[in-house]
Amino acid sequence: MARVAESTSESEPRELAIEARNRVRFEEEALELADQVYRVARRLVSTREEAEDLVQETYARAFRSWRSYTPGTNMRAWLLRILTNLNIDKGRRQQRTPDEQPLEEGDYFLYNRMEQAGGASETERVVERLSRDDIVGAMSAVPEDFRDVIVLVDIGDFTYADAAQILDIPIGTVMSRLHRGRRILKRELAERVGDHHE
Amino acid sequence: MSEGHACGCDHCEELMQPYVDRVLTAEEHAEAERHLEGCSYCADRYRFEAELRIYVRDACCEEMSPELKARLVALKLPEA
Repeated sequence: MARVAESTSESEPRELAIEARNRVRFEEEALELADQVYRVARRLVSTREEAEDLVQETYARAFRSWRSYTPGTNMRAWLLRILTNLNIDKGRRQQRTPDEQPLEEGDYFLYNRMEQAGGASETERVVERLSRDDIVGAMSAVPEDFRDVIVLVDIGDFTYADAAQILDIPIGTVMSRLHRGRRILKRELAERVGDHHE
Repeated sequence: MSEGHACGCDHCEELMQPYVDRVLTAEEHAEAERHLEGCSYCADRYRFEAELRIYVRDACCEEMSPELKARLVALKLPEA
């Protein structure tokens, strides 16, 4: 018995040192991802202040529960999972707002609309006629359930599988929301492009 | 070029998002490539889709403030 007690008292400080080192490594890795986490957060919510609060709370929670992160797995996805859950908990999100408007136009619709609107010189690309405000405004007009998926995949560079895990929805739902969400985004962009030319 | 769907290929339009996402099967990808080589109508629209993705990403990127970064660093747990 005495030997056991002795070995425990000897190994404890070493274990504590290892744990402290792992924690510091975790914190450093998490902080390196902060820019990327913020970029996604900023488009998931309406204002800069909301995004900042959300990121700060995410990091506070992540640092407290760092032991539940499995080393070697995707930490960025793990952080975003915390962030999206916090966002839902805050009740900031409106009721589910499925976009019921028909989207019969195909995927070529926006290009066709912009090409018809004309005004491009030979050297200007059609896409260059969209301003930053057009894009940011159109993105925020996309209903949240669809926007979440576009933001994670198209801005956050997450795979369909990661987005499914972060949002806790099936991968098939990620794909269908992405497809429909991008169409909604294009419809919103088309409306803004139309406004410039009226 | 702008009037009507020059190639009448609705299928090619349906393949565009998964093509740009690179999630088509090898067979479907080859099918799309073959079509795009001969059809500038679709090729213009595929190019636009790829450019739009980059454009949206760039437009939506907003850097975080140094103040927030400092606040996150301050959240680190105190040394044991």
